[in-house]
Amino acid sequence: MTPDTETDEGDVRFVRQLIGLDYAVRTNPVARAFGEALAEGRITGHRCPSCGLVYVPPKGFCPICTVPTGSEHEVAIADRGIVTSWTVLTPIQYAGQEEREDYALASLLLEGADGTVGQQRLVEVALDEIRMGLRVEAVWAPEGEREPDDRGYGLGTAITGWRPTGEPDAPADAYREHVL
Amino acid sequence: MPPDTETTFTMELMYRRSLGPVVGGFFTGLRDQRVLASRTAEGRVICPPLEYDPETGDGVDELVEVGAAGEVTAWAWVAEPRRKHPLDRPFAWVLVRLDGADTAMVHALDAEGPDAVRTGMRVRVRWAEERTGTITDIACFEPEGT
Repeated sequence: MTPDTETDEGDVRFVRQLIGLDYAVRTNPVARAFGEALAEGRITGHRCPSCGLVYVPPKGFCPICTVPTGSEHEVAIADRGIVTSWTVLTPIQYAGQEEREDYALASLLLEGADGTVGQQRLVEVALDEIRMGLRVEAVWAPEGEREPDDRGYGLGTAITGWRPTGEPDAPADAYREHVL
Repeated sequence: MPPDTETTFTMELMYRRSLGPVVGGFFTGLRDQRVLASRTAEGRVICPPLEYDPETGDGVDELVEVGAAGEVTAWAWVAEPRRKHPLDRPFAWVLVRLDGADTAMVHALDAEGPDAVRTGMRVRVRWAEERTGTITDIACFEPEGT
């Protein structure tokens, strides 16, 4: 804790308080295999053997059918897809904030997946030109800089962002079932 | 377990809290090496001060000074301090009723070991060398007579 009242004289009116939470997470084998594939430039998912839905990142089970999935259910996912929804963020300069300019995070429906991947950075596109159905492709981090997210939440640092491919937008039917 | 199957990360959030006149006054007092308490209409002295009378709910704005020493009313030994604890060696969390106060405040007691702590023992404030107007201006408590 590093309290600080901002002033050395006069009445104390504010206090700064740093709340810190230390986490230790045991990496599960599914997240680990997903991260190893990302390091090689591949996105993988698991196809449920019962309903056929493909989950990215793979969970190791199908939450609908409640059946386990493993490496035998692994399928390749394209490093391209469409924007289903997005948010433009204006960074507030709180402690630890590294962003300085407005930026966009999107949910993406990747080719070969049945669910969206959230919190994906959009790059090389004007913020007012982002739209549902926009087709994007991955901008991969250099090999050796693709750190997995061991918690199994996302794509880690393997993909630095997604840029428009320039192709015509996907029709609404392609993402209608995936919008928030 | 192989080391690469566990990952650690720290999430930190910086808060800036507005204190108001009562808690702000308490912290201002600590910076000046004075411990202030609130006094209710019935004359109960509450330390650390509350902004209201816990019996009636009425607002309280009178601050009075209490002693910088008092009596331990309850305690718990911490054998393995954590990163954010006020002391980096084993210590006791204590409730201390300061001289002149009717309620107790929680803080750390720097003691030799659990055998050196008992309910009813006399302790006093050890002031931080640099005080900035926060609760850590009281570095900890220490047994009286040390």
